[in-house]
Amino acid sequence: MNARMSIVQLSGLKKYFDSVRAVDGVDLAIDQGEFLVILGPSGCGKTTLMRMIAGLEKPTAGHIEIGGEDVTDLPPRKRGVSMVFQSYALYPHMNVFNNIAFPLRAQRRELKFDKRAIRERVESTARVLEIDMLLDRRPRQLSGGQRQRVAIARAMVTQPAVLLLDEPLSNLDAKLRANARDELKDFQRSSNITAIFVTHDQIEAMGLGDRIVVMSEGKIQQIGSPQSIYDDPANEFVATFLGSPSMNILSADRFRFGFRPEHFLPKTLHDNPENSRIFHYFVKRVEYLGSDRLVYGYVHGHDNDLTLAKVPSNVRVSLDIESDYEFAVHNRDIKFFDNVSGQRIEQQSLAQAK
Amino acid sequence: MGLLSWVLHNFWALLVLLFLALVALRIAWRIHKYGATRAEFAYVLRRSPFYLVVLTFCFFAAAPFLIMFMHSFKTDGDLYRRPQPFVFRQDPTLEHLDALFNNTAYLEFIRNSVVVGIAVVIITLVLSLPAAYALARLTGRWGERAGMLMFLVYLVPPTLLFIPMFRIVVLLGLKDDPMSLIVVYPSFTVPFSMWLLSGFFKAVPPELEEAALVDGYNRVEAFLRVVLPLSLPGIISTIVFTFTLTLHEFIYGLVFIADTSQRTLSVGVPTELILGDVYFWQPLLAAALIIAIPVGLAYNLFLDSLVQGFTMGAVKG
Repeated sequence: MNARMSIVQLSGLKKYFDSVRAVDGVDLAIDQGEFLVILGPSGCGKTTLMRMIAGLEKPTAGHIEIGGEDVTDLPPRKRGVSMVFQSYALYPHMNVFNNIAFPLRAQRRELKFDKRAIRERVESTARVLEIDMLLDRRPRQLSGGQRQRVAIARAMVTQPAVLLLDEPLSNLDAKLRANARDELKDFQRSSNITAIFVTHDQIEAMGLGDRIVVMSEGKIQQIGSPQSIYDDPANEFVATFLGSPSMNILSADRFRFGFRPEHFLPKTLHDNPENSRIFHYFVKRVEYLGSDRLVYGYVHGHDNDLTLAKVPSNVRVSLDIESDYEFAVHNRDIKFFDNVSGQRIEQQSLAQAK
Repeated sequence: MGLLSWVLHNFWALLVLLFLALVALRIAWRIHKYGATRAEFAYVLRRSPFYLVVLTFCFFAAAPFLIMFMHSFKTDGDLYRRPQPFVFRQDPTLEHLDALFNNTAYLEFIRNSVVVGIAVVIITLVLSLPAAYALARLTGRWGERAGMLMFLVYLVPPTLLFIPMFRIVVLLGLKDDPMSLIVVYPSFTVPFSMWLLSGFFKAVPPELEEAALVDGYNRVEAFLRVVLPLSLPGIISTIVFTFTLTLHEFIYGLVFIADTSQRTLSVGVPTELILGDVYFWQPLLAAALIIAIPVGLAYNLFLDSLVQGFTMGAVKG
């Protein structure tokens, strides 16, 4: 058990839709005050997982505990969670004030909110999210960014134990998104709320998450900090899913190995080539992307696997197309994967096997 | 009477004048807004043919009602001597309207129809709102089929059902009582309203309800506070439609109720004002027109959402 108390505990959680295994046995503990990101390609079960935590989907098997209480069979309203939907799901027939007050009014009896208490609570929440001047507007009169804030305000106003966010940034345009990401993180820090954030956008995941859960085909592939997931992927799926462009994977006889394009550099740029592995690299094409050059080519002996290299623009190495070069990767940057299962293999165990 | 007589004598001229006045007002308003420029003048000219066409169609649509209106005031002599719908050759008269209201049970027909209509609308909504919601949201594999089955009921014509229904009505002791219609009419209004409403409910995004569920409401509350307000246009057009369904229903009304004062409009008016092959045209037309006006207005007000309701479920599947 961790030193910090885990607020959400999922054990053996499964959800089958007829024969489709949307979520296939998930065990996960989420700590109090943590920003947890669930990352995966579309259809990997991440949204289903979140909907089960919210209570909108009934698990086929397994248990959900929130705050130490088994909530598996409880309806959403008794779970103490709030949710921000991808479409925001603001009530179009209510103004912003009533949208934010809506959850408070549901709990009026239990929390003993009178009209004034509701007004104060809504206004203070709106002030935190800087939407206090919009309280009289209808949702359709708001911009995308404003709608998103209203949705977050509505989710936060009851001060829930857990905040669930289902790709809330995906409807914003690219410029707003970076800004919203920053604000969301600040907001979560300062309010010390536990946030579970579902996304398919790895940049969002890396930027926001204290921990990232990578999911694929209904299963958790890896859990860890953004850095550990990127630098130390548990299997080939995680390795190739993260990173843009993704990791180069080459086949050897009994295993596969991979390295990231940014680690695949001309030999002359490596300080001590003894610790590196040298590849003969045929450059097919070079894309100049401003800060980097993206090189497309083939490693000698792997003529079917397109291999990419990302060479910083500020290093003065000339790369001509249709030419051979010597490229190298530092040994620690090469990852080995099992041929069949795709699981990571440690280099030592590989050496022993030989 | 003097004013009415003058208006009716000059009815068509007044209609044209009214139209011209409206056109002049519209043009004046545009000039006030955009100034009397050449461009403005050209715009009016360019749009004129379009409005001319629209006007022609309007006239075709309105002509029956206008003719009904005029005929209500004609004397027998004027009406039957070589029918001439557009002019009065004898002075208009109010005697037929007087007869309609004072010598027939017209007001009672209206009262009965309104009572039956309102009661049926309420029963229909109470039954079909939850059914439509279930059909839109909570259908399992059998839900959709059950819905189809219910719609089949609507397809069985009253001409087949009125005899068994009559026996039931007698059994319930409701013969000659408008109550019998209140009991029987939902058999065709409920399936229809259910399908109409489920189209509107399907158009409400499910996330809105889910948001309400997470925000602390149960399903019934989520339905009442989120789905219902958002489908209000649909509910209103369902009310209008259900009401008119009861208003023009004939065969049950004819069979179940023999007592004149208990009859509804759709049965009472033709049975009272057509005796054998004698048609009392003027009161007949007046009776039809008076009830057609509010219904026509209601239809026009909610036409858009009504059409939406018919097509929505179809597109979304």
